[in-house]
Amino acid sequence: MSEEKRLHPITTVINSVKAIREAIIPIIILFFVNGRGDTGSILDYVPILVTAGLIILLIFLGLIQWWRFKYWIEEGELRIEQGLLVKKKRYIPFERIQSLNYSEGIFHRPFKLVKIKVETAGSSAEMDSEAVLTAITKEEANELNRMIAAAKKKLRDKGLDPELPVVEEPDVEDRVLYKMRPKDLIVMATTSGGAGVVLGGVLIFLSQFSEVIPYEAVFNELIEFVEAGILLAGILIVLVFFIAWLIAVAMTFLRYADFTVRLVDKDLVITRGLLEKKQTTVPLKRIQGIRFDQNIIREPFRYTSVTIESAGGSVLEKDSNAIRLLPMIKENEAIPILHEVLPDYEWKVDFKGAPSRSIFRYIFWKIFFSLFVIIPVSWFFFPIGLLSLTLIPLSILLGWMQYRTAGYNLSGDQLVMRFRGISKQIVYMKKKRIQSVTWTETYFQRKGHVATITATIKSYVGGSSTSVEHLDKKDVVTLMDWYRPEAVSKPEAREIIGELET
Amino acid sequence: MGSNEPKMRISERALTVWKLYGWISAIITTIIAAGVITLAVLFDWSVWFIVGGVVVPILEIILFVYVFPTLKWRRWRYEVREEEIELQHGIFIVKRTLVPMVRVQHVDTEQGPILRKYRLATISISTAATVHQIPALDINEADELRDSISALARVAEDDV
Repeated sequence: MSEEKRLHPITTVINSVKAIREAIIPIIILFFVNGRGDTGSILDYVPILVTAGLIILLIFLGLIQWWRFKYWIEEGELRIEQGLLVKKKRYIPFERIQSLNYSEGIFHRPFKLVKIKVETAGSSAEMDSEAVLTAITKEEANELNRMIAAAKKKLRDKGLDPELPVVEEPDVEDRVLYKMRPKDLIVMATTSGGAGVVLGGVLIFLSQFSEVIPYEAVFNELIEFVEAGILLAGILIVLVFFIAWLIAVAMTFLRYADFTVRLVDKDLVITRGLLEKKQTTVPLKRIQGIRFDQNIIREPFRYTSVTIESAGGSVLEKDSNAIRLLPMIKENEAIPILHEVLPDYEWKVDFKGAPSRSIFRYIFWKIFFSLFVIIPVSWFFFPIGLLSLTLIPLSILLGWMQYRTAGYNLSGDQLVMRFRGISKQIVYMKKKRIQSVTWTETYFQRKGHVATITATIKSYVGGSSTSVEHLDKKDVVTLMDWYRPEAVSKPEAREIIGELET
Repeated sequence: MGSNEPKMRISERALTVWKLYGWISAIITTIIAAGVITLAVLFDWSVWFIVGGVVVPILEIILFVYVFPTLKWRRWRYEVREEEIELQHGIFIVKRTLVPMVRVQHVDTEQGPILRKYRLATISISTAATVHQIPALDINEADELRDSISALARVAEDDV
């Protein structure tokens, strides 16, 4: 595999389709500019010619890109050369490669090809050393994988790789931890608000054609129709929602069908997708934290989604920082699975909440800001605008829910924070993974002896911060001291400081 | 804020620099305000434009030259200990941050032309996920601090 190689020729098609998809908005605009005038002049055809020219150019560029892209293996490195005018060479040593992520699109399937993303450990400065092989055969991919594993093993045997202690290699363990059931997928699609997104998307799409479609006429007909039979109109609405729901379910199936989590050696391997199969590998030691998300529809049913915050990874895949480990699962079913993946975390914890004097703080600002909506709306749209007053009970409800949710737990080297925007979130973090901790105190918080605490972990190339607001000042100090490397360990000292503060 | 707050203060010259920044932005505001007043007189706009044109620059000078820099300077504290760095700042919202030394990835100092004139430098402490700055330290102190932090900062035992 040491000679220079090109990717599979289907790459040209993939590249072109991608380029055209990215240029779709200008193309659509050009297309619609066309056909307005009927003067019979040659000028009428300019937009369509430009569109065609643009598409041909993009296809041509795809071809060039493929032609100039070469990869080979030499001296334990993956080497890539590309570029037409500026020749770019990129050498990635095998030991720097963390994992190869496979994905298969619709163009890959018929030819038994895969797309490979090379993931490196990547602190931000080294992010450059990454690569994508758009389409290679599965045999080549496996060969590459094998060579990388062999190179790493060799290093490990020599004891050169400090990250990997020398151990007798047991048989590589490959265990299925979780498989998503179709039932879960349906629940997920139903509760994700996907149907609403579909409806909204359709409406936005239709609104683009206001010049073409005579909305007023349609609307008038609709009014007549509704007057003709409310029952019929009702059925129609239900039908529209049903179709939107079906589309949402279909979309969820496309993305998440066959969702499987496996534990392979020291890596988590997540595979999913119907048309486009995706495989993501997460080395366990790169996991920085675990997040539970529970949106407001799922909460009463105790369904949650579990996300991994992972460091490094690929800049090329935008969502690789937050990897959905369990997209939709009952809380109590998630815990045994997580316990197998990360046995050193404690999953069942009790939360210490915000003090009762904080209730007011949670509610006050929400009412305060809602007034900025309520007053003008009520003033300008007088009788009906008063409906905006419902924002006040809603603010109170939300504030109260946020107060109830807010909490933290410290157990050993682990910090768990629970908070709510609208959705409830719980974040599990290990002390050694927390990059910094900050507490903030506004003037009013100081008066009430409460403060807000924020912990930041590394996620992807940046950071991910978690805050809990209006906790008791004593709790905040405890938390700070827990995090402090030079902790004030003596309880007496703690007490003295506590006294001085009050 | 209690007795265990960070002990070190930033350079007193920072106050001069911040006041200078305040003056620069106030001068720009004044020029704009003068323009607005001129237009208001010429085109007979509402008298409130003139009032605003006078009040806004004055307020800005009071707040951003005299009040805020002093408050900000008074609040700014830091402390670099063997195993941790602690920062505190903020006028209305007091912010206190703790960064363990093992989390520090690198330290930078930088100065712009104004800071250089006053022999000051800003020090930036980067972890894998966050950047923390101490503004306007004496240049010698900043260099010393940078060297000692980077000496104390060890490579984290884990993956970041």
